[in-house]
Amino acid sequence: MTDYGHDLQFGAFITPTAQPAHQAVELAVVADRAGLDLATFQDHPYQPRFHDTWTLLSYAAARTERIHLSGNVLNLPLRPPAPLARSLASLDVLSGGRVELGIGAGGFWDPIVAMGGRRLSPGESVAALEEGIEVIRQVWAVDRPGPVQVRGEYYQVVGAKRGPAPAHDINIWVGAYKPRMLALVGRAADGVLPSLGYLPGGAEDLAGINRHIDEAAGAAGRDPRAVRRLLNIGGRFAPTGRAFLDGPAEQWAEDLAGLALEYGVSAFILAADDAPTIERFAAEVAPATRQLVAEERTY
Amino acid sequence: MTYGHQLTFGVLLDPDAARPGDGVLLDPDAARAGDSVERARLAEELGYDVVAIAEDPDGLDAWTLLSWVAARTGRVQLAAHTSVPPRDPAMLARSAAALDLLSAGRVDLTLTTGERAEAKGEAEAIEIIRGVLDADDPRPLTYRGEHYRIPRMQRGPLPAHRIPIQISGYAHSLLQIAGRTADGWVAELAVLGPDGVAAANKVIDEAARAAGRDPAEIRRTLIIDPGVSTDDLLPLIVEEGAGTLLVRSTDPTVLRRFVKDAIPALREAVGKTAGTVPGRSAAVRAKRRAGIDYDRVPASLAETAVEPGDVEYARVRNTYLRGGAPGLVLRPRTTAEVVDALGFVRAHPGVPFGLRSAGHGISGRSTNDGGIVVSVAALNGIEVLDEAKRLVRIGPGARWGDVAAALAPYGWALSSGDYGGVGVGGLATAGGVGWLAREHGLTIDHLRAVEMVLADGTVVRASADEHADLFWAVRGAGANFGVVTSFDFEVDEVGDVGFAQFVVGAEDPAALLVAWGQAIEAAPRDVSGQLILGPRRPGQPSFAQVMAVVDADQPDTIIDRLQPLAAVGPLYDQNVVLLPYAGIMANAAEGYHRAQGDPVARSGLIEHLTPEFAAAAARMLASGAVHWFQIRTVGGAVSDVPADATAYAHRSANFSVVAMGSDPRRVDAVWRDLYGYFDGMYLSFETDRSPDRLTDAFPPATLARLRELKRRYDPHHLLRDNFTIDPRGGQR
Ligand SMILES: Cc1cc2nc3c(=O)[nH]c(=O)nc-3n(C[C@H](O)[C@H](O)[C@H](O)COP(=O)(O)OP(=O)(O)OC[C@H]3O[C@@H](n4cnc5c(N)ncnc54)[C@H](O)[C@@H]3O)c2cc1C
Repeated sequence: MTDYGHDLQFGAFITPTAQPAHQAVELAVVADRAGLDLATFQDHPYQPRFHDTWTLLSYAAARTERIHLSGNVLNLPLRPPAPLARSLASLDVLSGGRVELGIGAGGFWDPIVAMGGRRLSPGESVAALEEGIEVIRQVWAVDRPGPVQVRGEYYQVVGAKRGPAPAHDINIWVGAYKPRMLALVGRAADGVLPSLGYLPGGAEDLAGINRHIDEAAGAAGRDPRAVRRLLNIGGRFAPTGRAFLDGPAEQWAEDLAGLALEYGVSAFILAADDAPTIERFAAEVAPATRQLVAEERTY
Repeated sequence: MTYGHQLTFGVLLDPDAARPGDGVLLDPDAARAGDSVERARLAEELGYDVVAIAEDPDGLDAWTLLSWVAARTGRVQLAAHTSVPPRDPAMLARSAAALDLLSAGRVDLTLTTGERAEAKGEAEAIEIIRGVLDADDPRPLTYRGEHYRIPRMQRGPLPAHRIPIQISGYAHSLLQIAGRTADGWVAELAVLGPDGVAAANKVIDEAARAAGRDPAEIRRTLIIDPGVSTDDLLPLIVEEGAGTLLVRSTDPTVLRRFVKDAIPALREAVGKTAGTVPGRSAAVRAKRRAGIDYDRVPASLAETAVEPGDVEYARVRNTYLRGGAPGLVLRPRTTAEVVDALGFVRAHPGVPFGLRSAGHGISGRSTNDGGIVVSVAALNGIEVLDEAKRLVRIGPGARWGDVAAALAPYGWALSSGDYGGVGVGGLATAGGVGWLAREHGLTIDHLRAVEMVLADGTVVRASADEHADLFWAVRGAGANFGVVTSFDFEVDEVGDVGFAQFVVGAEDPAALLVAWGQAIEAAPRDVSGQLILGPRRPGQPSFAQVMAVVDADQPDTIIDRLQPLAAVGPLYDQNVVLLPYAGIMANAAEGYHRAQGDPVARSGLIEHLTPEFAAAAARMLASGAVHWFQIRTVGGAVSDVPADATAYAHRSANFSVVAMGSDPRRVDAVWRDLYGYFDGMYLSFETDRSPDRLTDAFPPATLARLRELKRRYDPHHLLRDNFTIDPRGGQR
């Protein structure tokens, strides 16, 4: 049993489809109205079937009121960190503190390179992400003296003016699966954001993910609770339970409460591109899961 | 002199101008951000045409702010004044496309150089941005420049409109780029002064001419400070050809005053000298096709017409099944405009002509190569005429999914076809074999009247009482007689229906076909459906999809009706749902048609699926020449209508059969064995254009009558894209 004690959050993982142009925005609005905590969009800048994720996030933020928004996850290799940090801070200011930074080191190198990006090995991409996060945090740290100073192997940002200041502490959540990336999360990030569907061993792999993060956090003198455990999930509602996250809402709540209590997952982001599913997740699954977890936690 | 542009006015929200000290805004980012958005909204409210946002290295990110402003405004043009670097042109293009789509075509880009005086990569950036946005080009974008290298990226997405790319700056190098390739040039009046503007214009004009462009293609935009008097501005417009003035201010009082005092005065003074709106650029005109008199497009259609160089072209060139390259697409919005469009077509007798509603034609060639297409997609209204009689009027451009959704709230439905994307215009002029066919007949059986534009441009109403001969012909051979501009239907009351999708083993396809055919024929009329088979793949199990709609809302009845269908072969998967009819039809793909190539489809109508026919069909599937074999149910109510009541005459059939492939010779070699079993065909599923096929589509008496009507109503053979009857043809 692992539980980092975070409040539970529920979100939607929405395809940023460019056609019809407003579909993704409308779904974010649905998620906002339904009371979800997060609306997130994947980011594959080499994929022209999708909207540019940053533009979409900005536009959707302007059309929503309460919900927080994030890339899931933004592609660092095609989004240089200093301008990215400024964009994030700008949107955070505009939206009254509703932006979070889900970020990834990049995975599909062929199309990244085809667009003019630089190919990195897995190890290099971890190092680049760590430098990128450093650049981003320095840009945001307007109260620290002097300009941004990062003389990295992958990013050199020397002497750039800091700011603008974000409106709130923007969380940095990293899409991570492997030990080196997880260690980086433990050292430097505010959350980890894997997809359940990509875990070869299923939910049980979360134990290993937690262990790597917790160890690295400890080694860096951080409290493991500083790292939120988020999870992208998929499922479908059915009148009778058939499998994990395939059944009625009550069963979903039990499944998710299990993940929360067993592995300390505290944010569930559901891949959904239709309003009824998003609404049902918010109205039926979220409160029931929260209740189950609260009940367990009081013991 | 002027360049003939329509004069526009904008506001430049320049964060620099709002630094503390000038007394307008407070510095904290939050206040500035909020104020910028408020100013943008104010500008829109006041009637400005453009809100421009300048890059501010120390302030909020301009693109983020512009995206936010886009979501909070509805009309103003959104001008991003932005620089490459730091922005990457390929990423900027993707962002611009996204914002243009989200804002319904309001984005334009101005490349600024920041502190830098000389051009550095701007020309390359323009090429790359245009290349990325040119989603109509199927090849990946490869670019090897001095400043940028792109190995091989996918283009797109296609923006909502042609995003203008302008250049801002003063250096000779920048002016040259503006003249050679940009859509506009932007400069600050305070930096250049009136003489400087004149000198720069000269450089731009020369560069434009040297590149074979009309200098009028380059819009001139001046950024002005609020203090400049109207008297000083007027010569800049009438003599130096400024097309846009951007007031640099964030002060509401200033913005209001300029709108009240300067703009009306300038517009009035300019009104006298204003030139004509410039037409398409040289680059766009270069893509025009021979034989089309583009300059004679009727004024009513000019604004919506699309030609090969236009951004919109990618959205209209192809159809659902075919790649096309028409020379001109006319898009009338009213019956009167359809009349104009047909007039234009009549003036081009040798040019291919296709008529399009929603572009799902199989027999109908609603796209072509180098010809004219008249698309009535915009005539897509759906209105209830008489609720008591369930009478509705529907435009040809409506799609059946939309029709179903619009009728659902009344508890009504109109059986059409199986796919929500198909258009009313093509289907309701030919037949309409739909999910409720056996119970409620063909779509055309519900038709009570049409309004149509005949080949000579006359607008007529045809019904049982008016132009009864046309009304007869339009129900089965409509594409030969005119452009239907509206359809009046009497629709049915239909509650929730049962919709079943079965996956059935097809190891013995012949046996399956016979069993399914018998089950359907024995079923009550409230059951309609279809069966789909693919080619046999050696070593792999074969499956058929069996789909059925049961018009009943009692689960017991539905199960009862479905049982025999589920028993036609080993059942591998099943899904049965109770839903509104509109729920079945909500299956249309979104987005524009991107088909390539030219499919081959063969169509036949048949009374019974006999063992002999089924065996021939099984041989056809085994040959691999056909990749799609589909049988829909007709019969029932379809057969209640006398054969001579409509031009669709093969009323005795119980099944409509279609086979699709890609190689006409291979398909025909196997289809030949099936052909003998048919009793005519439903023309909508046939791609063969041989005149012989007319005798399959229409029995002799029907064809003779159609031919006579064709001579009367279309003697010059204008309408010829779909089972056309040659008015000069023989008596066959
Ligand atoms: C995926 C798919 C599924 C289909 N399923 C069915 C089905 O279940 N049942 C069925 O009956 N048919 C079906 N069809 C066939 C369909 O009905 C015809 O192809 C029909 O012509 C498509 O109409 P459209 O308006 O979308 O096509 P378009 O391509 O716009 O038009 C096709 C032709 O119709 C004529 N036409 C179009 N508009 C008008 C008008 N306003 N006035 C006069 N003539 C006009 C023209 O000759 C034109 O070439 C299907 C087709 C497809 C592609």
